[in-house]
Parts: sequence; C-alpha cells; structure tokens
Amino acid sequence: MKHASILLTAAVSVLGLSACSSESPEPVEQIVVREPGQAEAATPDAAPAQDAVAAGRAAFAACVACHTVEPGEASGAGPNLAGVVGRVAGSVDDYAYSDALQNSGLTWTAQELDAFLADPAAKVPGTTMAVGAVSDAEKRSAIVAYLASLSE
Amino acid sequence: MSDIADARPPRSKAAKWTRRGFIGAGTLVGGALIVGVAIRSGNPVGKLKPIVAGGEGEALINSWVKIDANNLVTAIVPHCEMGQGANSTIAQMLADELDVDWENVRVMDAPADGNYVSHHAARMFVGPGTLPDRPNQVGFMEPTYDGLFTQLGKLAGAYITGGSSSVRSTGQNGMRIAGAAAREMLVAAAAKAWGVAASEISTENATLTHAGSGKSEPYSAFAAAAAEQELPRAPKIKQVSEYRLMGTPAPRKDIPLKVDGTAIFGIDGGPEGDELRYAAIKAPPVVGSSVASMDASTARGMAGVLQILNMGDFVAVVADSYWQAQQALNTIKTTYSKTDIDDLDSEQMFANYSAALDEAGESGGNSKADVGDATAAFQSAATKIDAEYRVPFLAHATMEPMNCTAWVRDGKCDIWTSTQVPLMSRDGAAEGAGVSADDVTMHSVFLGGGFGRRLTPEYTNQAARLAKATGYPIKMIWSREEDTAQDFYRPADISRFQGGLDENGKLVSWNNVHCSDDEPAEAPLVEFYDIPNVSIRGAEVEPPLRLGAWRSVAHSQHGFFVESFVDELAHEAGQDPVEFRRSLLKNSPRHLAVLEGVAKMANWGSDLPEGYGRGIAIARSFNSIVAEVAEVDMTGGMPRVAKMYCCVDAGFAMNPDGLTAQMESGIVYGLTAALYDEITIKNGAVEQSNFHDYHMMRMDDAPEIAVHIINGAPDNIGGAGEPGLPPAAAALTNAIFAASGERIRELPVAKHFA
Amino acid sequence: MLLDFGQLVALLNPQTALGCSLRLHCVIVQQKGASRMVSLTINGKNEDVDVDPAMPILWVVRERFGMTGTKFGCGIAQCGACTVHVDGEPIRSCSTPISAAEGKAITTIEGIAEEDGTLSKVQQAWISEQVPQCGYCQSGQIMSATALLRETPRPTDEQINAYMRGNVCRCGMYGRIRKAIKVAAGIEESSRQEAAT
Repeated sequence: MKHASILLTAAVSVLGLSACSSESPEPVEQIVVREPGQAEAATPDAAPAQDAVAAGRAAFAACVACHTVEPGEASGAGPNLAGVVGRVAGSVDDYAYSDALQNSGLTWTAQELDAFLADPAAKVPGTTMAVGAVSDAEKRSAIVAYLASLSE
Repeated sequence: MSDIADARPPRSKAAKWTRRGFIGAGTLVGGALIVGVAIRSGNPVGKLKPIVAGGEGEALINSWVKIDANNLVTAIVPHCEMGQGANSTIAQMLADELDVDWENVRVMDAPADGNYVSHHAARMFVGPGTLPDRPNQVGFMEPTYDGLFTQLGKLAGAYITGGSSSVRSTGQNGMRIAGAAAREMLVAAAAKAWGVAASEISTENATLTHAGSGKSEPYSAFAAAAAEQELPRAPKIKQVSEYRLMGTPAPRKDIPLKVDGTAIFGIDGGPEGDELRYAAIKAPPVVGSSVASMDASTARGMAGVLQILNMGDFVAVVADSYWQAQQALNTIKTTYSKTDIDDLDSEQMFANYSAALDEAGESGGNSKADVGDATAAFQSAATKIDAEYRVPFLAHATMEPMNCTAWVRDGKCDIWTSTQVPLMSRDGAAEGAGVSADDVTMHSVFLGGGFGRRLTPEYTNQAARLAKATGYPIKMIWSREEDTAQDFYRPADISRFQGGLDENGKLVSWNNVHCSDDEPAEAPLVEFYDIPNVSIRGAEVEPPLRLGAWRSVAHSQHGFFVESFVDELAHEAGQDPVEFRRSLLKNSPRHLAVLEGVAKMANWGSDLPEGYGRGIAIARSFNSIVAEVAEVDMTGGMPRVAKMYCCVDAGFAMNPDGLTAQMESGIVYGLTAALYDEITIKNGAVEQSNFHDYHMMRMDDAPEIAVHIINGAPDNIGGAGEPGLPPAAAALTNAIFAASGERIRELPVAKHFA
Repeated sequence: MLLDFGQLVALLNPQTALGCSLRLHCVIVQQKGASRMVSLTINGKNEDVDVDPAMPILWVVRERFGMTGTKFGCGIAQCGACTVHVDGEPIRSCSTPISAAEGKAITTIEGIAEEDGTLSKVQQAWISEQVPQCGYCQSGQIMSATALLRETPRPTDEQINAYMRGNVCRCGMYGRIRKAIKVAAGIEESSRQEAAT
C-alpha cells in the first residue's frame, strides 16, 4: 500500500542515517561522567569569579526554552538577552513586551535584575514572565554574572 | 494492559484453510477459547512467518477474542488507542456479535512480538467476497488498495493504526466475524452436549439457553468444546435491526483510567526497580545534517549527569532525572555539518514550488484525473476564474512529546513507547539494540495523541541505541522544542485552479495543478461533483523537511483548496454556495443528503448579527462524507469561529458518541491549524519551537460544535478519526468571505490579521 | 577544570573502559552537588525527599514519587498538562521548583478522589460526559477544573473559559470539558449526544 510503502521507505532511510555498518552503530563520542550511585562532589565553599559565570551558564539552562543569548539571534517566548545588563527594560526590537514591562521605567542593573529574578510578578506586576523565579540568591547572582558576560 | 506472551494457543484443532474458512480457533491453557484468523503455511503469496507453533501447517495469527473460565470476554485488539476510541468500539462490535453484555467485556492490546503477529503475513491470505452478504469492496486509502481483506490483513497483520480504518476494516471485517464465529461454535458445542438442534439454542449475555428443556450454561462451560467444532464457513453476521451494542454510545473502557491518573502512556511506561535513567536529546535542526562537534564542558559539571554522547545523528545527555538531563543538554554547544539547504528559507522554498507549477502549466505534471478537455472548455467558457492557494507545513504537536523507554540486556530488548506502528518500532529498536526483532518486547501503552505522527520508528531507535551504549534502562523524552523541530510534517503546498462557467453559471471546466504526491490519491479529486471537463495534475517538488501523514493527510490541504475554489466559483456565478453545490452534487445522493443536513442544522440563509458570516464546505475522505458550516464573527481584531455545524455520513456509526467526539476533535484540530499555525523555515531549519509560537486553540476561542449523524450505508462504513478535518479550513475562510468580502487564499488566517 | 585531590572522585571503571568505543573520554570532574532534604506532604502523606531544590515539582512527582498521572507537555507553562495543587492552589508544576512546595501540601490527580476511592464529582462528570479522548491532558484539566469549582462553585461560561484557557486539549474536547464542569457543578444535567437518524 502506497501509504505504508512511503512510511517504510521513510523509516528505512531514517534508520539508514544512523547506521554506517550492518551492526548497531557505536557512539561517535561517549563521555562517562559518573556511574549511577556514585556520589557527586560536594559544593565548594567559595566560588571564584570565573566560576560564577560558569555556574550562571549552568543555571541559565532553565531559561533557554524562552530566551536566546547570541547577539542578533531572534527572540523567542522571551526577549533575546545579549547585552541585557545595563539596558533599558523593554527595548529589544523584535519582542512584544507586556505593557507592564514596557512601561516599567526600569534599567537592568545587576540589582534590578536580581530583584526581578527573585519574583518577576512582584517586581513587574503584569509581566509575561509568569515563570522563572530563582529563589536561591547565589544562583541569581551567578545568572546575573553570566548575563553580564554576554557580549552585545 | 498486559502482555499475553504466555498465552500462545496450542495447536489449532479447528482451523481449516479454504478461501472462505479463514477463521481458526484453539484453546488456551485453562480451557479458554480463542478465535482469530488462521493462515495455512505454504500459501504461495508472499513470505509467511509462523506465528504460533502449529501442526499440520496450520497457524493462528491475531487472536481476537478470548473467553475465560470466569465467563469474561476479552477482545484482543490489534490497534493502538490514541484517543480515537478504536479499541473500545471494535470490542463493542465483537461483543455484539458474540451476544455478551458490555459490562462483561474487557479490552486488551494484541501483543506486538514476532511470535504472535506477523507483518509478513499481510499479503493476501484471504480473498475478497468471502462473505456472501457483503457487496461492497472497501479499500484502505482507496483506490490504492483493492480488496477489503487485503486491507484487513495489512492492517491487522501489519499492526498499523491509521487511515481511520480500525473500525471500518478490522472491526467490521475481522472482529465481527470472529465474534459471530465464536458464538456459532459455542452454540454447536452446547447443541452436541445437550443433544438438541443448534437452532433451538439462544444466546444472550454470555449464556446459552435451550428454552425447551430449560437448560442454561455460561459460555465458559463450553469454551474448550467450542474449539473442537466445525468452523462456520460464513458465520451469520447481524443485520442492523439486530444490533444491540453496535450503534449505541457504549461508554469507553479506557476513559475511567484517564480520569484517575492510572492510564499508562508511553512516557509513563518502564521497568520496575530503580535502575531507570533519563535522556534528553537534540538532533541536527537541518535535514541531512549530522553532528560535527560537541562542546560539553559546562554540561559535564552539572548535577545528575551520568553520560554525554555524540551519536552522530544526535547528541544526548543521560542523567538521574529527565530535567537534569535537559538542563545539561541546554548548555551543550553543537556544530553541524553543512547541507545544500543551509541558506533556504520559506520564501525561497515557495518560490521554487511556484516555479515547478509554472513549468507544469495548463497540462503538464503527473496526471491524476483527465476527463474531457479542461483546457479547451476553459478557453471557450463564458466566465473564466483562476485562483492560487497556499498552505504551510504543519506540525502534529501531540500533547505527549515523542519519547521511548528502552532496556537492552542479555540479547533482549524491552520497549515502552507510544507508537501507531509497534512492528515498525520494534524493528527500529532491534536495529538500535543490536538484537533480532523477535527478541524485542513491545509493551503496549496508551498514546497521548497520534494524528499520524507516531507512524515512524526513529525515536524508538534512538532510545534503543542509548540503552545499548550506556547499559542502563533509558527513558528518553524529547523536549517540546525537539518535538516541534523534528516532526514529519504535513507538506506545504500550492494549488492553482482554472474554472470555467458557461453563460448559465454552470461549471463546465476544472483544471488544477498542485505540488507533490497525494496520499490518499483521491484527495484532490472531484468525482462526486458533476463537472464535464476535469484535469488534475501534480508537479514534483523537493521539500526541505521530512514529510509525514498529518491527520487526514492530503485531504487536509485539498479539502481547503477544492472547497475554497468551489466557493469562489459559486460567488462568480452569482449563486448561493449551497445552491451551487446542490446542482453539482445531483449524481451523488449521499453527498447531497449530507449537504442538506448541515444546511438545515445551520439554518442556512437565515439572518446573522452584523459582522457575522457563514461558510460551507463538504469533503469525502476515508469513506465518510462530512459537510461543515462555520459561523464566523468578524467583529473583533481576529476572526472567531462562534459555531461549527457538522453533518457526517460514515455509513453507520458503530458508536455515535465516539463518532461525534471524533468529528469535534477533527474540527478543532483543523481549525487550529487553519487559524493560527505554520511551520516556517530559516537557514534550512524549522523556526517554531513551542506553544508560544505554534499556537493552540484553547477553551476560550474554541467554537460550539453541533454534530448530526446520518447512517447512509450500514454495509459500507467509513472512518471517524480523520474525516472531520478536511472541510474545516474552507468552511472558515468561506465564512470570512461571506462576512467581510475578504477572500483568504493563504493559510493560516492569522497572518492576514495584525 | 579544577582538581582537588581531597575531592577527587574516581569515575573510570575498568570494565567500562574496555567496553567503550574508540573515542571514549572518561573524565574526572568536580561536580556541584545540588541536592538537599525537602520536606512536604503529597496526597496527604508526609515525605522527605533528597533533591535539588530547583528541580520542578513535575519531575519530583513523576520520577521520585512514581506518580505518573501528572504529565509533561511543554515545559514552559503553556499547556497545563502538568497542573497540580500546592496548598489547594493550581500551579504549573513544570515551571515551579520543588522548593516552592517545601512545608506545603501537594495534591496530584492521584489524590483527588475520596479516601475510600470514590471519584470526585469532577471525575465522575468527566466519565459521564465521556470527556477524555487520548486523555493525556486530562489530569491537568481535572486539576484546574477542581480548583475552579472550589473558587467559583457555579461559574458562567465566560468564567470557565477564562480559567481553563491555560489547559490545552489537542484532541479538542473543550465543549465536553465545559459541559462536564457544569455537570459537576450541578448547573446542568448530564446528557449524551443525539442518536443517529
């Protein structure tokens, strides 16, 4: 049947992409970080400045579903954040901000960003950013450090 | 849902092979009767795999009904349940023929393993015309198939769920026969035991009764003996007037599990114990590309991460939790290999499609219909109308994203995944796990939506490969972003029409050329309309995305194209759209009845409030005829569908509530796309990612929907899952035209309103 | 990459090394342990769970407590499939960290029925109106509807539409959901669809 034959062809070609031999294909690269059950190392007491950016990048993983960070990259569910630190709130061209944020009069200093991230809905009532609060202060400052490291 | 791997029937005693006697029966351990479809090995057509250890060249496939010692009847359904209610409805049909009350029926998915179901047996093993009182030969995706039993074998044997076919094929031509045969064999067994004529025995609610002597026993008492009986050559199937369960809104068996959180979907399934690990993956955004480099330096330091893998065609993080895996994956920087389409965007793609249509012109391309001389008739027509319509790629966006849980060990593989093609997925798993297909166990689950997306095996293959590489049982879940980026899309299409009207406003010529293949082939055809000159052709194009079957497949775009153009022709002819179609449908009485039905429901022609308009569209797909009227409110910034009227003739509604729900469902699915959705391409990759940019219809913009059912052909039943969709878009745009005078020829509607 | 011998964790397993493919990297890293004990109540039961406090409630519920009735649909609070109650309030658990539920009571679809197993009025209406098709969104729908009726026992259609708009049903059962809410609220009688002609 035509329908199934199209599908079967598609299936074969899809699988064919992955296989370079008749055997089940091996990974190109496999990094074993840890075995299950092995304890992860404890958090270090003091994180040097460089680590804050790295920690911030890691924490920012929760934000990438909505926010892009490459300069010039299109905004998504949230505005592109390249160069956001020091910027007037609501100023990215290709993003449709809520009226609340557009008219907030905020400039995104590290302090204002920190306050916003702690509770976006309280800082800017009516903001589209209904989710994404970061309750941990250290994580917040790491995220701000990471945002500050993003080039314009 | 449980597997019945331990319930393979022993050697079938009652199976006979003739072109007519294709039913086999046997007993399970414990005396349960099992009835299904038998094949005889040595069948010269196609390669046959033995399903069950059988003697004398007999073998049983697809056991469809089992009666156990407690008189509980289990319908074993070789189709998945993805919301269309097929499992329950098929069981309802079987239970009716078997004379069992609905309360005593259970439903179970047929196991999909190599020892039980063979897709190699899907070649012709039964011939058409087996049942003398079945005059209609209905093909799956007709006219691509011929012969209803070939269809039956392909579907049931190949274990595919799709094409709106579970009820009208497997149910109508398989399960009912199995149920009727089982009943007759039970009667025969009782007749022998009681020493009375079979004709004196009645059956009701799983009980055999001989009125004369007052003898009465449950089915279970004779299940084992029934298997020894002569197979009925043509079991008596009920006439419509005898239906007790068929045609009633029997409540679905799966719904209670879906309100208390106990229903297990693919994403929920997995092995017992706490060894399960989780994977998040990302594949190259551009088709044909592979992973060139992977920088996982941040990911390595993130909590919960166990392994990071570059599989060549995707990158994966395996962690103690899905969320941890996805967080880590989000920090990985990947570069991809170059492709020919790295600079392609939607605008350029449509320009390429347009050029292909230019080249096909008025008579080139692959011919799909050629009646009379459409070009000449157009030239001499009193009024000439031409139009071009355009629709985008569309994503399936099932609520449950693609996922698969795989466990590979000791040469065996277990798979839990939502799939419409368990056998194809099984093969994908086998390839990924490096085991034979027979060593893969597919665990059946509910699907969180299918809509044609789950007809592909690639995500099962991915999970199996990860499980093999890491040694862990792996639950791999695609993020919504991955799901949107890696779909098998409904094709984008451009369709050009030329229509000629004579001086009386009668349609005399129809010329259509559009892009790409059609599946089903009948989708762009207009045979039910009385048009003397018709030319329908397809021009070949190269889509930059992988294509798949999207609910109603090519009917989804051709329903819009055809019914929009018919509407434009009607307005050019100065005629009411219903009246115009009425005269064109004079040779299609079932279409006419559906058209009249919906016009009446919608009170066509009556006054509407200021700023409102009505539009009508009709389409036949998957052997069901559906007409819809949309009532659209143009008073706001964006058109709003206030009401949707739907009249459907699906031959016979086996479960009218189920059919109604599927019409509602197809309408909302179709309107969502028509109003809001497009998948666009930039630099070869899909731009959309989640529900903020691939918009869903919601409670506050969904229309009120009214459905009226006509049972126009009880022996020729049509599908339910898809046919509600094709008329929706044109009903909407035709209504917008009626309300505002604006003719929308390019979907989605939203792009024309700021 | 920082290496502190006091914190060195040996990860290389000889068996793994032998079994791995050509370009296996077995690396030794220092990881940030992020988890701590979080105490909460879930469906009436007190639980202490050792977890990263940033982990969304959805994944703690599904993976740690094994309650799979709450579903993942989008991850950015756009679809509502993940809706649970925290101290009776409906929240999108995919975007709410478990720390937000610390010391509070989580209720999931598994905890909505009565103690003795009797289904709630909303659940019963969902069955009588044959609401679920694929059913994947329905745990979230029921949780939202339950919270709505607690807040507004006799809602108008407009109130229902506004409250429930965060719950997507890809199978399109909005009409049935609205009807079932009204049946559960006692505003309308249950009815089935018309029979065929």
